[in-house]
Amino acid sequence: MSSAIQVRGLKKSYGSHIVLKGLDFQIASGEIFALLGVNGAGKTTALECIEGLRTYDSGEISVNGKTGIQLQTSSLPAHIKPMEAVKLFAKWNRAKIDCAMLNTLGIKEIETKQYIQLSTGQKRRLHLALALISDPDIIFLDEPTAGLDVEGRLSLHEQIRNLKSHGKTIVLASHDMAEVETLCDRIAILKDGHLVFCGTASELTDKVGKKYLIHIKTEQGDNTFETDHIEETLLSLLGEFKHKGIRVFDMKVDRGTLEQQFIEIARRAEE
Amino acid sequence: MSGFLYGVALQWKLDIRSKSLLVTCYIVPLIFFLLMGGIFTAVMPEMKSTLIPSMIVMSVSMGAFIGLPPSLIETYGSDVKKVYKANGVPLYLGLVTMFLSTFSHLMMTCVIILLLAPVLFEAALPSHLPIFFLALAIYMIVSLSIGSILGLIVKNQAKLTMIAQLVFLPSILLSGIMFPIDLLPDFLETIGRVFPASWGYRLMLDHGFQLENLWYFILVFCVASIVCGILLKKQKSK
Repeated sequence: MSSAIQVRGLKKSYGSHIVLKGLDFQIASGEIFALLGVNGAGKTTALECIEGLRTYDSGEISVNGKTGIQLQTSSLPAHIKPMEAVKLFAKWNRAKIDCAMLNTLGIKEIETKQYIQLSTGQKRRLHLALALISDPDIIFLDEPTAGLDVEGRLSLHEQIRNLKSHGKTIVLASHDMAEVETLCDRIAILKDGHLVFCGTASELTDKVGKKYLIHIKTEQGDNTFETDHIEETLLSLLGEFKHKGIRVFDMKVDRGTLEQQFIEIARRAEE
Repeated sequence: MSGFLYGVALQWKLDIRSKSLLVTCYIVPLIFFLLMGGIFTAVMPEMKSTLIPSMIVMSVSMGAFIGLPPSLIETYGSDVKKVYKANGVPLYLGLVTMFLSTFSHLMMTCVIILLLAPVLFEAALPSHLPIFFLALAIYMIVSLSIGSILGLIVKNQAKLTMIAQLVFLPSILLSGIMFPIDLLPDFLETIGRVFPASWGYRLMLDHGFQLENLWYFILVFCVASIVCGILLKKQKSK
């Protein structure tokens, strides 16, 4: 798969504070890629350098394709109306307005309101619509669902998946692990300006070396068992419960959440 | 080009929706004109010959120093400026659209004053209207360029309120529009000449459009353009 974005040795500092300490990664065309990190890890700075919104000290960034940037809420004049912003962006980008896209994002429903009167979810949808005006190949989303309720979050996830199905490359910065786990093909984890991991969620699990966790709910309560050999342990546990006459109600096997793995990899980076 | 024109027209509408510009470009200057016009011409009938330029100086000073800068802070002191970068549009476009929009709002207020003053207060119309409007345009451009510096240099609205008053009040009190400048002590007269209001007032009076009243505007406009350019470059490099 061809590369949509290549970042080599990206460094950025604000005065004496070094924010990015030499990032190297690439993003393939058509994938959903997440930049993860705690507040202050440098993900927004990295994203803004790639978007071209911020200058950087050294390194190379190559972006292959037209870009669309979903800006954070509060980045439009307070009294502008959604369709006015859409028309302005369309004129700046010499693009035709895609009415179907605006309908899908529910922009028509809010066209009489001013930006200041919109809810957080409506603002996010508007900013996504503005990012899509020029029919970009690569879409940047910074904390796309921050401040949204469950319904708004699910709706936006659906829009993002829909964009991927149309072959768009999506780069998002987030600290919402559940969102990243649900949406993204690959993840880059930033810690104090360093890239401590870049790969798929299962590669992250392998790297952390997390054992399988078997959660069993019985009439005597909930139990969790950790193992490297899932089949043998599971059979042995079920045999033991049967032997003791304990009824099993439910069972689940996982390798921990992305959040747990993120914490583990961040801890290791500190060591 | 159509993007630029749409941007200017949109900014014009946004300025009307934003109550602060509506108040500073229309409501306060026109109420001031209606009240003070009546008082001035009743107390000092000779002011009928200078009422139009003096009321226009007050309106332009208020719009340029108190009306324009908050709009600029809303854009350049916040994430709104990223909109330009994200769309590959030059950062100065915001300044230019706001400048032109405020210019047109102030011009409308001035035209209203020009039309109402003779009817309401028997004020004398300027003898050469084209020259008067040329003088007015020059004065407005220079005042707005000073307002632009304020909007780009000050980072928050609270500070701006204070600093804008430091420019607005001396402009009004020391320019000769409220009372003859000869009545002021010499040092206050000198301070008054630092601000564009006193120069604008003289430029708009009959036979005032002369080089001795123009050099100040050329100088200030050149300096203000350079300062705005530097401030925008600083914003861009951040």
